[in-house]
Amino acid sequence: MTRTLPIPTLLTRTLLTRTLYAEWTKLRTLPGSGWSFAGVVAVTVALSIAFTASVDAAHCPAPQGCHEDTTKLTLSGTWLGQAAVVVLAALVITNEHATRMIQTTLAATPRRAVVLFAKAVVVAGVVMAAAVLGVAGSLLTGRFFLEGNGFTAANGHPPLSLGSEPTLRAAFGTVLYLVLVGLLSLGAGALLRDTAGTITAVLTLFYIAPVAVQFVGDPHWRERLEKAAPSAGMAVQATRNLDRLPIGPWAGLGVLAAYAACALLAGGAAFIRRDP
Amino acid sequence: MNATIEVRGLRKRYGSTVAVDGLSFTVEPGQVTGFVGPNGAGKSSTMRMIMGMDRPDEGSALIGGRPYRTLRSPLCQVGALLDASAVHPGRRARDHLLWMAHSNGLPVRRVDEVIDLVGLRPVARRAAGGFSLGMRQRLGIAAALIGDPAVLMFDEPVNGLDPEGITWIRGLLRSLAAEGRAVLVSSHLMSELEGSADHLVVIGRGRVVADTSVQELLTAASSGRVMLRTGRRQEAMTVLANAGASVAANGPDTLTVSGLAAERIVALLNEGGVSFSGIAEHRASLEEAYMELTRDAVDFRGATGAAGGPGSADADGTAAGGAGGSASSSASAGREQR
Repeated sequence: MTRTLPIPTLLTRTLLTRTLYAEWTKLRTLPGSGWSFAGVVAVTVALSIAFTASVDAAHCPAPQGCHEDTTKLTLSGTWLGQAAVVVLAALVITNEHATRMIQTTLAATPRRAVVLFAKAVVVAGVVMAAAVLGVAGSLLTGRFFLEGNGFTAANGHPPLSLGSEPTLRAAFGTVLYLVLVGLLSLGAGALLRDTAGTITAVLTLFYIAPVAVQFVGDPHWRERLEKAAPSAGMAVQATRNLDRLPIGPWAGLGVLAAYAACALLAGGAAFIRRDP
Repeated sequence: MNATIEVRGLRKRYGSTVAVDGLSFTVEPGQVTGFVGPNGAGKSSTMRMIMGMDRPDEGSALIGGRPYRTLRSPLCQVGALLDASAVHPGRRARDHLLWMAHSNGLPVRRVDEVIDLVGLRPVARRAAGGFSLGMRQRLGIAAALIGDPAVLMFDEPVNGLDPEGITWIRGLLRSLAAEGRAVLVSSHLMSELEGSADHLVVIGRGRVVADTSVQELLTAASSGRVMLRTGRRQEAMTVLANAGASVAANGPDTLTVSGLAAERIVALLNEGGVSFSGIAEHRASLEEAYMELTRDAVDFRGATGAAGGPGSADADGTAAGGAGGSASSSASAGREQR
């Protein structure tokens, strides 16, 4: 081998684009990533089908008296789809700690902040793509099943359409919701490093915390906690009776965004300070 | 870029254990520098600090005058094999090199070049998790070479390699240094570096025990001893001792002579009419030299047994007369080559 320096490196690319490209390649070349991606879409759509196929306008006192929030119901698959997002996003960083790959990553890109930022961008992009497919699939199948179950325009339930402003907001908001769940999970992964620990912690936050809040006796405090939990972000899916929600749709999403930001900041600080 | 590694006053403790205790040395380009010390001496910790993975408590480690963390395309400046298992087991070997290439803006062509260089072509599309330790070492070496760096670091690179692999890596180290690169290779066994290292940095308990060229070390350890083979041991001892040499018998017909040059010994024996069948300047092995060196360092006591080399036998002039066939006195004053 003769030395042929300099290799014509693509130095015109900035550090960030190179790191993004590397992180994307890493995610793309792991066999599990495709399954996680498909999992987010499949679980979201499947649960939506289960919900929309099981409601029937005939169970209402009168067809016109059905106050079902069909948009919210259709997007309810998110409730389970988020678990797949948590796993996918956490693994992006905890997997590297588990296999010590993180050492190779930091040898290639010693700037830790850039590494974590690139991971966040890749996670956001991939989750967004999966969420768009999941939401679109849910809306299409929901439309089909709801109409078959008596939720017709004649009964005051026009077919689900992104032309309706609340439905559009709910669909768009659901995509953002899943992206924020992914970022929260990534931040927690950077902080905790351990795969099982991270997934347990984040799933507890999303599944156990809302249930635990229901056991709070004082209704005043219960509502406060409902507003402060990350699952408040689910409010973005509501299209009816908004005044009865503990928190508004965008405000709820804002609460989740604050959680994600805190997790990323704490995870980032730990990632930068600690030796791998 | 100036292809050097400069370690200055490096200190690092993990909890109550001092892993590296004020280490200073320089790795120069164009030669293989062996980094030797027993397990736990602080070799890996030092290499991790050079790579900017662990932060030193004190001191600095610079690559071409700059800390690793400030390098923008580090793979083009430093190639390192620190932990061959630091790959994702589910990712294919080629994909592992591919993301590394992307991370430093290297062309994809480099990926295939280094795959061929380390001979992993047939398994390039297999998951790294199924690799043997030797194959992983090769993958790690490919990763280290991907940016064609001027500085290279290998932590225990021959671990787990078969004899063919060991020969291959020795040749690779030599050729990398011959191309003008600075090569730092750690090992806990001095014998592994025999024939490949030009310079040695020996450490123990986080401190430098010796920083010397291999040539100097071997010369010092050999210390002008001459091995003599003769059937007339008693007479030879008398002649040589009278000339001021110190003579030790270490076999029925072999003597170790120190204090006289080989040429002078030949002359003395010929004058005295003492026949001998062989004479050679003793050349210490690297392992012996290492033992000699570390015998003084208390830290190493009990780590390994004494080397089974010559010079340990006491002078014993009263042994029974050698019955060996004393052939003609054909002196072969060449060096004993290992």
